[in-house]
Amino acid sequence: MSWFLKRLGVSLILIWVAASVVFLAIHLVPGDPAELLLSQGGSAPDKAMVKELRDQLGLNQPLHIQYAQQMWRLLHFDLGRSMQDDSPVSEEIIRRLPRTLELILAAGLMAVLIGIPGGTAAAMRRGSLFDRLTSAIASLALAVPVFVTGTLIVMVFAQWLRLVPAGGFVAFAKDPVQHLILLAMPASAIGLGLSAVMFRMTRAAVLDVMLKDYVRTARAKGVAPRRILVRHVVRTALMPVITVLALYLGTLLGGTVLVEFVFNWPGLSGSLVSAVNARDYPQVVGIVLVISVLFVALNLTVDVIYGLLDPRVRR
Amino acid sequence: MKRLPWTAIAITALIALLALLAPWLGLPNPVTMDVPNRLAGPTAAHWLGQDEFGRDVLTRLIWGARVSLSVAASAAALACVIGTALGITGGYIRGVAEILTLRAIDVLLCFPPLLLALLVVTLLGPGAATLIPVLALVYLPGFTRVAYAGVLTARSQDYVEAMRVLGAGSPRIMLRTILPNIGGPILVQFSLAMAAAVVLESGLSFLGLGVVPPAPSWGLMIAAARATMAQAPLLLLWPCLALTLTVLVMNALCDGLRDAVDPHPTYRPAHRRVLEAIAPGLLPTPKAVLDLRHLTVEIQTQAGPIRPVRDVSLQVFPGETLAIVGESGSGKSVTSLAITGLLPGAARVAQGAAFLDGTDLLRLPEDSLRTLRGDKIAMVFQDPGSSLNPVHRIGAQIAEAIQAHRPVSDTAARSEAIALLRRVGLPDPESRARAYPHELSGGQRQRVMIAIAIANQPRLLIADEPTTALDVTIQAQVLDLLNDLKTERGLALLFITHALPVVAEIADRVAVMYAGEIVETGPTAAVFLTPHHPYTQALLRSAPDEEGPPPEGIQGVVPSPGALPAGCTFAPRCPRAIAACTAAPPALRASGDARLTRCIRWNEP
Amino acid sequence: MITTENLGKSFPLGGWFARRPLHAVRDVSISVARGETLGLVGESGSGKSTVGRLMLGLMPATTGRVMFEGQDLATTGAAALRTLRRRLQLVFQDPYASLDPRRAIGAQIADALVIHRLMDKAGRIERVADLLEQVGLAPEHAARYPHQFSGGQRQRIGIARALASGPDFLVADEPVSALDVSVQAQVLALLASLRAQLGLAMLFISHDLPVVRHLCDRVAVMYLGRIMEEGPVREVFANPIHPYTRALLSAAPSLHPERRRARLLLQGDPPSPADPPSGCVFRTRCPIAGPDCATTIPPLTGTSHRVACLKA
Repeated sequence: MSWFLKRLGVSLILIWVAASVVFLAIHLVPGDPAELLLSQGGSAPDKAMVKELRDQLGLNQPLHIQYAQQMWRLLHFDLGRSMQDDSPVSEEIIRRLPRTLELILAAGLMAVLIGIPGGTAAAMRRGSLFDRLTSAIASLALAVPVFVTGTLIVMVFAQWLRLVPAGGFVAFAKDPVQHLILLAMPASAIGLGLSAVMFRMTRAAVLDVMLKDYVRTARAKGVAPRRILVRHVVRTALMPVITVLALYLGTLLGGTVLVEFVFNWPGLSGSLVSAVNARDYPQVVGIVLVISVLFVALNLTVDVIYGLLDPRVRR
Repeated sequence: MKRLPWTAIAITALIALLALLAPWLGLPNPVTMDVPNRLAGPTAAHWLGQDEFGRDVLTRLIWGARVSLSVAASAAALACVIGTALGITGGYIRGVAEILTLRAIDVLLCFPPLLLALLVVTLLGPGAATLIPVLALVYLPGFTRVAYAGVLTARSQDYVEAMRVLGAGSPRIMLRTILPNIGGPILVQFSLAMAAAVVLESGLSFLGLGVVPPAPSWGLMIAAARATMAQAPLLLLWPCLALTLTVLVMNALCDGLRDAVDPHPTYRPAHRRVLEAIAPGLLPTPKAVLDLRHLTVEIQTQAGPIRPVRDVSLQVFPGETLAIVGESGSGKSVTSLAITGLLPGAARVAQGAAFLDGTDLLRLPEDSLRTLRGDKIAMVFQDPGSSLNPVHRIGAQIAEAIQAHRPVSDTAARSEAIALLRRVGLPDPESRARAYPHELSGGQRQRVMIAIAIANQPRLLIADEPTTALDVTIQAQVLDLLNDLKTERGLALLFITHALPVVAEIADRVAVMYAGEIVETGPTAAVFLTPHHPYTQALLRSAPDEEGPPPEGIQGVVPSPGALPAGCTFAPRCPRAIAACTAAPPALRASGDARLTRCIRWNEP
Repeated sequence: MITTENLGKSFPLGGWFARRPLHAVRDVSISVARGETLGLVGESGSGKSTVGRLMLGLMPATTGRVMFEGQDLATTGAAALRTLRRRLQLVFQDPYASLDPRRAIGAQIADALVIHRLMDKAGRIERVADLLEQVGLAPEHAARYPHQFSGGQRQRIGIARALASGPDFLVADEPVSALDVSVQAQVLALLASLRAQLGLAMLFISHDLPVVRHLCDRVAVMYLGRIMEEGPVREVFANPIHPYTRALLSAAPSLHPERRRARLLLQGDPPSPADPPSGCVFRTRCPIAGPDCATTIPPLTGTSHRVACLKA
């Protein structure tokens, strides 16, 4: 229990430091956000307008006051208002986050269903034709960047075969079938590479564990091969695989940007790109922070699961 | 070091060379437009056709490689230098430096990489110049982690401490000793970072946040070709192909480098058992629990097959302990693994028979052999720390052995497990059954291994260096336990060890092995009192005893199984060797009451 | 020449909230004279390796001090301590881990000469050749890499490296326990002849009692960080007084079981060094412990043969 509390404490500190880093980065990098915001037409902005906007954004106060205010707001889950349309940032995030999570979970599910059994099977038949073939496919899948996969899927399935629309989003409540079709395309674009990662990780981990002394002990006990595989090999081999999967899913929190862009999927990342292009600082900071918190929370969860699976970690 | 991935290195070098020499290849200008010929297909002048502004696609691909690779290489190099320096400093100096560098890296790792890149692009604005620091920042933590982990491993190595003992200062140790030894993993990390940076650069450019048009970049080309996908699908294909191929080759390079750097031996697939169905012309000795005849084991190596065990025959009777004693490389452990069918992948039995109560184990199909293992033949291994599965409770691991051979309910298996733990002398067996292996001491873990071994009343117990990892006082306890069990259950005990005093304590008979052969065998007391073979004599002289003269070593080294001397394998080190010894391999000959010796001069003065 | 006075070392243990010390070594007072070899025996976790590291000044002592020729290592500055290093050397247990796999062995033997600026290049080459011959290898071996040698040869190289700077005090930390028995004897003979030739003072750390019996002049027995018994080798082996020494000697398997002393089998495992028993640390496994053993820490008493036991 104290082990868990300690990990939780470290995570909270990390989130606080991350928020501070984002705050400092925005305020210490040369260039005045207000000026940037107003100079988008290309003409030099009016001094008075800049000053007014700076007042409005609280940019004229000393840095530490701004910092304290920002942290105070964050403690109350207040992420400020978007500079583009003055709507609360949190609303936009709450609307878009589930769509991104849905995408990530679908891709993760695909990776688990293909990669883990595939990797185990390849490891069990090491050196066979099946192993060499699947390993080669995995290497190829790993080498195709996700936006290339996405673009090719669009080209083949939407452009040539005309089986599906080229992208977009329909709410599940409105049309479940269409929703799932539209989800399947970006999810498989991500899932393909992720399956390859899972496949390779699982294969390597299973091979590694099969050489362990305790597997030899299990064989010396006369335990049946299937039971050895399930009870002694896969259980230990899956621990690092689960960790890697979780970390990958975490990096996808920001990494779906490309796929969302390719398939017009209105997730959180798309909103981040438009905010980046518009220099909408509150929006960028809000999204970055939310994703970071999720990321840290995910890592914490992985650690906890790891602790449950491996008694040596708990102390 | 193992073989380097030369194919991948060559192709990567070729791509890099093309990119490097792009200005001198006589290609058209990559940004010159030719609007009338927009989207034209391949022609003699434009091999891959022209894009939406009529620019030459091949030129843009090669110049795109130039941009991609130079950005990726600079970013990876920057990340490598800074990250490695941080990692080494943090890892070697520890204290404040460690906290500062590692925690800073932890904060960076709070942001998913693409998100971090987007954040920095927001702050600095897009462009190739921004991309380098952005990508460097993204891959910095990887290098720091690898360097830090490498330093932590290297720090605890004796050769690093040896430098400190010699009086070397920290900078010298970090640069001269640690850096070269973590160079391999850093190189792998560099190639990984570079491959990933190529992907990330093209991704950012694809989004319009990286390289700014009209400069050529694969990401930009894909983005642009998407718009004209319907009219000119090939235009989309070329940059996709270039990007995928580059990443594929670089990944192959990473994998190859990682394998070359990895110190672990390459695992080889298992051979099938190849012995014919019946052992020809052999009949087992009556009453012997184990009757091993002419066992020869072969291992396939790159230099050809070697035979680490040759023509080994021995018998173990009920209630008797036979010790196989030998130094490293004598083949004693391989012998025991061959009997139980647990040889590692590359090794196989080439000849011989192993009768367990009349059944030839070496010719049993794996399924039938499995039902005997853990039932009639049981094994105890050297390292009790790694031989128990760390994630299962010890009670469950014992119960598993019981249930693998007898249809017993879970509760019954559990209470049997507790009874076994009590028998092997584990204090408080009811609660200890629920413990995990790491919660026990080394001696207790070995007791658990013994409990597993005796769970099904085996006829033969093979103990492979069971006390080598234990302290002297614990070793005495475990030896006593094994001895008691042998007497109590009429076990045949095959005890494998390198320690002569242990043999003297526990064994009724002894077989001395040297370079894969038995050189002498007989009752322990007789062999130790009047050893017949010169190797046994020398071995006994080199073992320190409390009383008696100081130990003497044996000149020379054990021959490797790949380069065995002609004739007697011990002849090159033997003080009594004569010309006849190297002429032909000596056979085992009777040398007294129940004794055999592989020496032609054993009874000469 | 080298003396420890009530030497103690503890390591911090546990997390942020419940930090407590692990006393690896407590109250160790031993000395080694020029030309003398002191054997330090004990089982794993007894702290014997830590004593060796402390006596070389490789880690600071928590309590007590180490005096080398009347000079306190703790008050010697870092720079002076590095200079002193050439006179205090260590031979490692594992001949595979103790040599840098990426450098030729000649360069590694010469390291000490380079670090302490003892010789020019030609002098170093000559010195390395001498050292290699001294440990039974050939001068042309200098250009080879560690993986080209067997375990016994590597251990010889490790000894040559330790001898390069002309040390006065050598700590040998289980130098033969990773070697085969026939090679062990060769390395032990080498150590014995070098000690006689160079007049080295040596601390020989080992768990192998017969080896200590043959090589050492005096022996100190450690258990859970404390010295239980110390004295001349012949006397301690012939007439062990402390019950732990007696158990240790009787537990060691012998080539001649029929000649063995009465077997004294200890029950159970040694307690964890993180949580040692009160009073005498051995009392939980001691066959003759009484109630006062739990309350009083027995002092090490005697002159040349010292014992820490209330019942002896």
